[in-house]
Parts: sequence; structure tokens; C-alpha cells
Amino acid sequence: MSQEIVDAVSQYLTPNVPIKLISQGAEAVVFTTPVHPYCPSNEITKDSKPVQYIIKYRSPKKYRHPVIDKQLTKHRTLSESRLLGKLYLIEGLHVPKLIATDAYNGYIWQEFLGEDLPNDCGFSNLKNYLWMNAKDPYNDVVKDTLFKVGEQIGLLHINDYCHGDLTSSNIVLVRDTNGTNWIPYLIDFGLGSQSNMVEDKGVDLYVLERAIISTHSSFSDKYNDWLIEGFSSVYKKQGKGGVQKLNEVLKRFADVRMRGRKRSMIG
Amino acid sequence: MQLPQFPGVNIEILLFQDVSNANDIRSKIAELPYAFIDARTICSVEQLMSAIYRVMIESKYNRLRTKSLHSEVLLALSPTSNIGEAFKKFGISDDTKNLIMIEINQDNDNSSLDKTVVNGEIVDFNDDNLQKNSDVNAIRKIYKIDQSVEFENISELSRATVNAIQLRGI
Repeated sequence: MSQEIVDAVSQYLTPNVPIKLISQGAEAVVFTTPVHPYCPSNEITKDSKPVQYIIKYRSPKKYRHPVIDKQLTKHRTLSESRLLGKLYLIEGLHVPKLIATDAYNGYIWQEFLGEDLPNDCGFSNLKNYLWMNAKDPYNDVVKDTLFKVGEQIGLLHINDYCHGDLTSSNIVLVRDTNGTNWIPYLIDFGLGSQSNMVEDKGVDLYVLERAIISTHSSFSDKYNDWLIEGFSSVYKKQGKGGVQKLNEVLKRFADVRMRGRKRSMIG
Repeated sequence: MQLPQFPGVNIEILLFQDVSNANDIRSKIAELPYAFIDARTICSVEQLMSAIYRVMIESKYNRLRTKSLHSEVLLALSPTSNIGEAFKKFGISDDTKNLIMIEINQDNDNSSLDKTVVNGEIVDFNDDNLQKNSDVNAIRKIYKIDQSVEFENISELSRATVNAIQLRGI
């Protein structure tokens, strides 16, 4: 099955664009490539490897009617790209750069973010980063990083957008120019949407909290506190109205925590 | 120049400065097998190339909306789906001083690009030369980028234009 998808992508991209499969989900497969679709570049990253790009491909699903399949692929590819375009214009929010979209065929090209962490700790998403710091879990850099992650989520929510699948693997850390601190980027907006519903925001926070609890349970209390600190700081900057909104979201967050992500539909 | 996904297609791009015969070119634009773009509206190589990429994708999957690849480039640059408007905004006008000339050649034979059509000085098609001639305010206006959004540098503006080009009217 997955070889079939890789073959289809290779054919679409021609042999001039070599690809490497890095992730497969239910909806899409993700590849990296060193080839830019339209701006040839000889740029080199800090660790002197060629710059990579991300290709996200939504393959046709055989269990759907072909007509509906085409519509869904197009709709989802486009809405994810649109979201990236809109989020880019929000000041202070970090999302990957959109390079190209081919909605009919289900392709999105994005910039590649992150790097490999030292000592074989894996790719620089929040999950691996926290594991890397497990020996000294409460150091200042970790605190600063989590606070900034919270800020990113706050910025997203205060502008009435929701991520929909906010896990610690969907937060990628990029080193700042000095190389000491980390700048968090939110990735994978496949389930994202524009939403002013407190429920969606509460669920976002809950999903991330659960992700942290399940992977870093010994330190999760403090980690989650720092995240919420960063999250709140964004709202508090907005004055009284911001604080009011913040309390609404936090209250709902507490509700969601009590009952779980899915609301009971009984009655 | 070629795009990796379209090895059989040659793309020639020339940037002219101090063009003196804009009026002339405009009058016979229908006969010339090239695309002409007012360089004021282009702030980076990335902006123009992303439009050309979109044209090539649409051409391959039979989604062209205009009669030729060259007119499609202007439409692809535009944030709206109105062809006339795209020509008015990005196309050559009588007071055009800096001009971009594009030929997309799918037959893979030798380029028939006739540089003598334009009376002007050819300079390298690169970000520096494009930035020098671009009109940031006009670009913001064309792409309807809210005045409240601030850009620290041209590459941020360029990125916003790429977003608009990739997402328009699908």
C-alpha cells in the first residue's frame, strides 16, 4: 500500500525530485526533498547539509467514491494551505512557510523546520527535546522554551484559530541565531480551523496537556504550569477584555479535563 | 532555466531597465509570444517563479484559464481571478520603465526570444535588481495586504505574495 503511494508521488515529481518518506498518517504522507520546486538554491544549513523541503501528499483513498475523494482532497489541501497563509500574517506567530500548493493533486510544499538534536536524541520536536532534558528537567532554557510554546498557542487562540491536533510532536523547535535558545513553531494544521469556540480552544490545551502527561509524567505538572503561564501572558497583554477571555478558556479547559475531550452526546 | 518537475520546458526570463518603447510593445503585445510584466509589481525571484510554477502545474493538469501560458503567468500572479484586472495590474503600461520579459518554451527547440523587441538595458534577473525597481506600496495594494501587517524586510512581503499566488481562486 505505502509503496504504491511512494510510486505515485515519484511519478508526479519526476526523477529530478528525489524524496524520502518521513511520516505516514491516515490522511497524508510526508516526504522530504532537497529540491525546491521553483527556486533553485544552493543554500546550506548550519550543520552544512543541503536545505530540505517538506512535501505533504494526501493520497486518493480507495474506500471513498472517486468524485467525493477528489473533492475532499482538494478541500483539505486547500484549507490547510489557506490556514498557513493566514497564520503567517499574525505577528509573532511562527508557522512553516508555504512554498506551493497543488490542491487538485493533493500536494503541499513547505519549508523544513527543525534539526537533529545532539546525542542521538532524535528530531527537535518538543517531545524529544523534553526527553533530552530529562536529566536536568527544570533548567531555565526548558522553562523559557515551554513559556514560548505557551505564547504561540495563546497567539493562535487569541486570533481565533485552533490547531486541532496539538501534541508535543507537532511543535518543532528551531534554534535561534545565537544557538542557545529555541523558537517553537507549530506544524501540521491538517485539523486546524478558524474557530472562536471556547470548547475548541479548551480541547487544544487539554490534548497538549495529556500529551505531556503521558510522555513526561514525572515533570508534567511544572511543564504544564509553564505552558499555561506563557499562554496567559498573551491574553493578559490585551488588558481587561483579554483577561476575561482567558478566564473563559481556562474555565472550559478545566471542564474538558474533568470530562475528557469528547462531549457526551447523550440526551 | 528549467523547473525540476518540468524538464522539457525552457523558461527564459529577462529583466530590462530604462525601457523607452513601452508604448510600442503594448500596441503589438498580442502578436508577441512572450509575457511582459511591469517590474514594479515584482519584489523577488520567488514571487515570479511561484507564479510560473503554478502555471506549469495548471497546464499539466489541463486547468489553464487563458489562451496561452504567457497570459496565464499574469493571471497566476494576480490575487483575483479576473483576467482583465490581472493584465491591468501586472501587465505593461505606457509609463513602464522596468520590464520583465518571459518566454515559456515547451517544444524544447532553440529559444526564439527576440531581445530587440525591447529597447532597454538588460540586467541580471535577481532579487537585488528586482527590489531596486519594485514598488512596495503598490504590491501591498495589489495583494490587499492589510496596512496593520508590518514587514521587517522584503522577504517577508515576498512570502505573503507567494501565499496569495498559491492560494488564489482554486
